[in-house]
Amino acid sequence: MTDGDLDATDPRTLPGFFDALADGELLGGVCADCGQVLLPPRPACYACGSRAVDVEPQSRKGDVFSYTAVHTPPPAFAADAPYTVAVVELADGGRLLGRVAADYADVAIGDPVELTVHEPTAAEREVALDYETDWPVHVFEPR
Amino acid sequence: MPEPVIASVGASPLGRTDLPGRDLFSVALAEAFDELPDPADLVEAVYVGNQSESYEHQIMYGTLLAEWAGLRHVPAERVEGCAAAGALALRHAVKDVRNGEHEAVLACGVEKMTSAGTSGATDALSAAFDRAIEQRSGITAPSQYALLAKRYLHETDATEHDLAEIAVKNHANAARNPRAQFPKEIDVATVLESDPIAPPLKLFDCAPVGDGAAAVLVTTAELAADLDRPQVRVAGSGASANNIAVAERDMTDIAGARIAAETAYEEAGIDAAAVDIAEVHDAFTVCEALLAEAVGFAPAGTGYQSYQTPAERADGWTDVQLSPSGGLKARGHPIGATGLLQALEAYEQLTGAAGDRAVEGAETALLLNEGGVADAVTVGHVLTTAEAR
Ligand SMILES: [Zn+2]
Repeated sequence: MTDGDLDATDPRTLPGFFDALADGELLGGVCADCGQVLLPPRPACYACGSRAVDVEPQSRKGDVFSYTAVHTPPPAFAADAPYTVAVVELADGGRLLGRVAADYADVAIGDPVELTVHEPTAAEREVALDYETDWPVHVFEPR
Repeated sequence: MPEPVIASVGASPLGRTDLPGRDLFSVALAEAFDELPDPADLVEAVYVGNQSESYEHQIMYGTLLAEWAGLRHVPAERVEGCAAAGALALRHAVKDVRNGEHEAVLACGVEKMTSAGTSGATDALSAAFDRAIEQRSGITAPSQYALLAKRYLHETDATEHDLAEIAVKNHANAARNPRAQFPKEIDVATVLESDPIAPPLKLFDCAPVGDGAAAVLVTTAELAADLDRPQVRVAGSGASANNIAVAERDMTDIAGARIAAETAYEEAGIDAAAVDIAEVHDAFTVCEALLAEAVGFAPAGTGYQSYQTPAERADGWTDVQLSPSGGLKARGHPIGATGLLQALEAYEQLTGAAGDRAVEGAETALLLNEGGVADAVTVGHVLTTAEAR
């Protein structure tokens, strides 16, 4: 097993993944052995156990796979509720959870959406752990 | 190989209580050892299921509860796996007895969930989900399960009315359970008209926040006989982890539950059709539907019929009765104690101590306990009467 040289610039770590995302690039791991897409990238494939994971840019377009609205938020997000959350199936095959910039009533399974990224707001920085402070926040916009 | 059995059980009151966690445990322990020698004269190791230190700012629960039981200098540890912590503690106890390391092990669980109100519990439970993507998007336990429910209703013939019927059935069972947090019947309208929590899930689709503790004594069959205790065999035990992020899993085929149950069935030498009663992890109504399919009770897409009588259900369903205790929904769901409360229900059912809620002729039980959303971690146990072998 290798990977002994992983550091925070490597997109198979969270700092590396979010650095790329801040620049607008969504990186996924793609298993060289079975093709599984891993979001975010990581050193090993959960589907087959392989450690031959390539890091490749992923389409930011996808469709809503499932969705709901959070009416009883954690204290950190109380001011935002109710907000819509979805699992989105991306065009390159990976799935990612995120907020949707639309009311629950205006969303349906299968709706096309696109991932957008913003710098954390003051409120989001407030609830972030130290090392998360500059990590961008992603939101799905209807398209 | 020694055969592990459950030799005694006990529980604290469930719901909003004025007792901290260690005192809830003392109440549960006193019931479990009511007709036994003192714990110090029997127990060789302690495992404690406990979700979160955020309720009481207390870790080291193994050390604490061993001491409160009058035990020192025994191996003791807290087991963490969110709501599956209780069954993980039971599994450790079972393995210790099975492999001959100990003759008597205490598996217990405790949670003091009401210490910081609903928002405190919401926050503590959200720690069970992927931090990097899912927590930072504002996900909660009900909204995680709502994503499963939305998808399940999309893929099957199930309706919100069916999910409501599952809650109604579990409340009706709890009405006959003196241990239940909500021992009262409700109707479908009460569920459907309750406040939205995370659509399609409403307040009455959700298990309550509540305090509670449970204690289960696992021993060898020989020791239980020497102690003259009614015994229930732990015939099988299985566990399985799955992805931390709900987005990366199959959201309607709960694979981890299937693997945990099938492992337990295989060890017990049975199949799903042999199970008479099942305590499954109905933290939200949709769970009972999904789990009925995953563990082999119901054909795909028909698990939502769990509230119906065996004669009414689709072809391919077994005759199993689900959640005779009232389930997490109405019996109560003090997170770290839940897996042990499931074992307690099965012990009482299989030893003729279930009173008005006894399921006639029940000889084999499946316990299915989940942590995180759905099968992030799942633990299954098969329990049988001593005669069933
Ligand atoms: Zn692979």
